Amino acid sequence: MKEKFAGWDTLFLQYLKRDLKKIIVWVLGLGLFSAAFVPAFEEIAKGQGLLGMYETLLNPAMIAMVGPTPIEAAVDYTLGAMYAHEMLLFCGLFAMVVAALHVISHTRKEEDLGLTELVRSFQIGRQANSLAVMMEILFINVILALFIGGVMMSFGVDTISVEGSFLFGASIGMAGILGAGIALVMAQIMPASSGATGSALGIIGLLYIVRAGTDVSNVDLSMINPLGWTYLTYPFTENNWIPLIFALIFSLMMMVIAFRLEGARDMGSGYLPEREGRESAKKSLLSVRGLFIKINKGVMISWLIAFVIMGAAYGSIYGDMQTFLGSNEVMKDMFTHSGISIEESFTGTIMMVMMSLVSILPIAIVNKLFSEESRLHLSQLYATKVTRGQFYWTSIGLAVFAGLAGILLAAGSLGGTAIASMGDKLTMDIFDFLAAGFNFLPSVLFFTSLAALALGWAPKLGKVVYIYLAYSFLLNYFGSILDLPEWFSKTAIQSWIPKMPIEEFDALIFIMITVISIVLMILGYLGYKRRDMIEGA
Amino acid sequence: MKEIITIQGLEKNFGKFQALSDVNFTVNAGEVVGFIGPNGSGKSTTIRILLGIIHRDAGNAKIFGKDVWKESIEIHKRISYVPGDVTLWGSLTGGEIIDLFLKLHGRGDKQKRDYLIKRFELDPKKKAKGYSKGNRQKVGLIAALSTDSDLYIFDEPTSGLDPLMEAIFQEEVEKIKEAGKSILLSSHILSEVERLADKVVIIRQGKIVETGTLDELRHLTRSTVTLATEGDVAEMAGINGVFDFKQKDNQATFSADNQYINDILMEASKLGVKKFESVPPTLEDLFMRHYEG
Repeated sequence: MKEKFAGWDTLFLQYLKRDLKKIIVWVLGLGLFSAAFVPAFEEIAKGQGLLGMYETLLNPAMIAMVGPTPIEAAVDYTLGAMYAHEMLLFCGLFAMVVAALHVISHTRKEEDLGLTELVRSFQIGRQANSLAVMMEILFINVILALFIGGVMMSFGVDTISVEGSFLFGASIGMAGILGAGIALVMAQIMPASSGATGSALGIIGLLYIVRAGTDVSNVDLSMINPLGWTYLTYPFTENNWIPLIFALIFSLMMMVIAFRLEGARDMGSGYLPEREGRESAKKSLLSVRGLFIKINKGVMISWLIAFVIMGAAYGSIYGDMQTFLGSNEVMKDMFTHSGISIEESFTGTIMMVMMSLVSILPIAIVNKLFSEESRLHLSQLYATKVTRGQFYWTSIGLAVFAGLAGILLAAGSLGGTAIASMGDKLTMDIFDFLAAGFNFLPSVLFFTSLAALALGWAPKLGKVVYIYLAYSFLLNYFGSILDLPEWFSKTAIQSWIPKMPIEEFDALIFIMITVISIVLMILGYLGYKRRDMIEGA
Repeated sequence: MKEIITIQGLEKNFGKFQALSDVNFTVNAGEVVGFIGPNGSGKSTTIRILLGIIHRDAGNAKIFGKDVWKESIEIHKRISYVPGDVTLWGSLTGGEIIDLFLKLHGRGDKQKRDYLIKRFELDPKKKAKGYSKGNRQKVGLIAALSTDSDLYIFDEPTSGLDPLMEAIFQEEVEKIKEAGKSILLSSHILSEVERLADKVVIIRQGKIVETGTLDELRHLTRSTVTLATEGDVAEMAGINGVFDFKQKDNQATFSADNQYINDILMEASKLGVKKFESVPPTLEDLFMRHYEG
């Protein structure tokens, strides 16, 4: 036992030192994001704010996005209750993703890069690295939890109690540990770090989507979902610490499983077998397009499957909506007065959410060309008769295709499941869903074109497009909850696009954003054609 | 003779760092040119400019009489290139990658590919992520050697290969050379350049410091002479063109300036030569002379 973990403390200290900057950004960034919006929420809560928000958040679309609240009457809906309701799930999810990425980058990624081999040649146990990383995660998340608790408490708001504050922080910290546990297991099973990252994020995404379903249909079922153990603590209302104990046990189990798996495998290999490859290439590979499809295939297929699952998960909620309305007079009135059905309203909101996620795939495909360039994968190809235009436009073409396929699958799967779960009662048909989805095509193209522009002129900024996507997503996500000024919400590209089917299709906006996107892509090409290829830099 | 590569006054800056300050050389048809220099001297930068991967800041660079930046695609139809660090897609097998390279080049020879895979003992069914550095290099070499081009550019092609494979590479390059193709071979493995190159270009800190055939370059330097005489060999020490004179009994070892070799021989014969051995300078000596001084 000792032998296996020998030297973990050295590695642990080493990691803390090496990651110091990252840890500071992590704790401050995630901590402040989680805790510091209390004053903003005080603003919202003024006057009838809490009441209004309570009703808005009872909408199943909202529950699917932000989670449930244990409060049963609007009068009990305090500022603390609202804060936990709107923020906790999302912040927990973030904590999970960040921790999962961190774990894989220190375990499987280092193994792939050959760093582990070097480290193991010293007096370091075979499993010391994994233990060190998990201890680092534990350390970071404990600090994060205390930091969040401290910041929230410091605002001195009545309904944000000391116990609640620290429970809120602990829930987010525990989410991080859960994410790390899942990632560590995947790091053992998958044959390489990219697969480990993909599958870990996939599992987290799946947990999120499954809980969207169970939160709306039957909250008790969310209690068997590891992600549920974070936000179902209900800080400031029920202050239930028990889910955290489940989460802790689950994380320990994950760690034990991961250590077992790691102990029994060879360095650099996983449990999913690798087949022997082909001696010579298939015809379909023998072109730039064939090559790009091949190297993007894994990412494309996994995201497209994720879109289908996501659509189906949200689509399955439709069947429960009427039952839900039947039990809530206020909401029922709201929808009868506005003349919009609850399904249509839900479709409008959820489509925006899904199409933001669909945009990730084309951005990833465009950015891939630069990562191929900087990894020197293309060096030998530059010296062939393949033009830069072929590299560029093949990537863009593939990205646009992936965007179209993503919209089709996400919207189609949402519509298909919704129709299946509601039958004739649904006022929309599949074409309404597809129209609502493809209505967002310009925004998907716009994100693609931003990535293309970066590729041509400042390829290192390609990752910034994700940040803008996350920003616009959050703006729209919270924009429907917070009352933001018009100009501010318009900084997100999706805000320009009407939310069909509630709002009318706007051909002018559709064409304008599409044209702007195409122009940006052409500008990107001009840059790509004339810049120095960055190799190994 | 027809010039295949012509480079004049080539300059390249990366920000404030001047990577190339004055590069001039030519490669003629059917010629193998060794391009030597230490790490960071500008070999790869020059080659990347030749391939149109990066811009030049000043000067001229032409291949087949065409501008390397503006007409790169025309040029690329007739060249093959192997980078010094071949990196591959981990999810593809070596065989698949070679096929892809051949297809994108356009003038690949399937039979030669199979022959070279056997010769280099590459397992083409293995996914590239499982390849060692040497095996990755083999993939790049096989892909380049099985295409039919007029110019081959190799950037430190044998790094990571074992000596046996290095020898096979050299044999294959010799075959290409016999077929009358031009080759630019960047290397710091001197024996390799010595064996293959007709001409050597030495680059140092972004500047070409020496160009010429191996014979010409040798002429500028000294051979190592071991001489045993019947008379007193110490008399040789004072002759023009003799350096680093070391004597042991009646045998001496010294460096002889090649231009005074006649005088040295005449003086030696007066003393009655019992043994005379002259070793021409290796490229290594040339190299060291340039980098030390």
